[in-house]
Amino acid sequence: MRALIAALVLGCTMLITPLALADSPPEPDTTDAGAQEDAAEERATQFVGVRGPEAESIPGGALLLAAYAVVWALLFLFLLRMRGLQRQTAEELERLSAQIRASEGQ
Amino acid sequence: MSRTRQSGNSTVWSLVLFATLALFAATLYMIFVVAPVEQQMGIVQKIFYFHVPSAYAMYIGFGVSAVGSAVYLLKRDPKWDAVGVAGAEVGTLFCLIVLLTGPLWARKAWGVWWTWDPRLTTTLLAGMIFAAYLALRSMGDAGEVEKRFAAGLALFGLVDLPLIHFSVQRWRGVHPTVITGKGGGLESEMYWALGLSFIAFTGLAVLLIWARASVERQREETARLRLELMHR
Repeated sequence: MRALIAALVLGCTMLITPLALADSPPEPDTTDAGAQEDAAEERATQFVGVRGPEAESIPGGALLLAAYAVVWALLFLFLLRMRGLQRQTAEELERLSAQIRASEGQ
Repeated sequence: MSRTRQSGNSTVWSLVLFATLALFAATLYMIFVVAPVEQQMGIVQKIFYFHVPSAYAMYIGFGVSAVGSAVYLLKRDPKWDAVGVAGAEVGTLFCLIVLLTGPLWARKAWGVWWTWDPRLTTTLLAGMIFAAYLALRSMGDAGEVEKRFAAGLALFGLVDLPLIHFSVQRWRGVHPTVITGKGGGLESEMYWALGLSFIAFTGLAVLLIWARASVERQREETARLRLELMHR
């Protein structure tokens, strides 16, 4: 009987110990020195300039607006230039025609 | 040119003008009201609806310039030289639009304004060839030799156009291939907006080439009259 009780106690101990160990939470580091060390590690120790496109973020709306403004502005400038050319050529044609008429009349 | 033919041309011109204006209004409505905002790039993707048709209008301009130049070299008819000049100017205008709107999109999508991608590089090359053509033609009253040399330059520029188009398929690059190559395509509203934009830009390119060629013919006439007066 004693041997049976001893075997049961041993068996239960063997079953419960791993479960008890598995449930136990990790021991927190509550010392002040440890906490201060972590904070020091998180603190920035140098400044590094960002190079490349990550340096700034341009909103897409501004780029879209700029693109459409470029299209209309270039078209408008082209039309203005063409109007100028047309006016200049018409004036020149008129002047030359008058000169030819005058030379024919002589 | 007879008065009847002038009147007919004027009617066609007005019809194309009003149709183009109406198409632009419809295109802008489709782009900003109907077509959805793209998931990855956001609102900046809407540059695409003017950028791609501008590239197409650039092809039209440079193509017309090359055809006009080829016919001029064969026939020596100043009318075709005027067509060549008009096509080169309009093509360069749209090339400039492509080269300015592209980087505005790329800044957001790729993080850089410019990269030496095959399509970007070949487009820049085409712009430079036709800019050289215009520089050559802008040196006072171009003589016969300058005109012929410029016509040859336009034909040389024509060789670059297929390179631009097929560069995204043949060479490795970063330029999107949404509507060419093996792209994933567009949503139906996006297709409608792009399709209308293509038609509107075609109308615009035709109108501009037509008007510019007409002015150039007048300039040719002026040069002829000036020469006639000098020989009297």
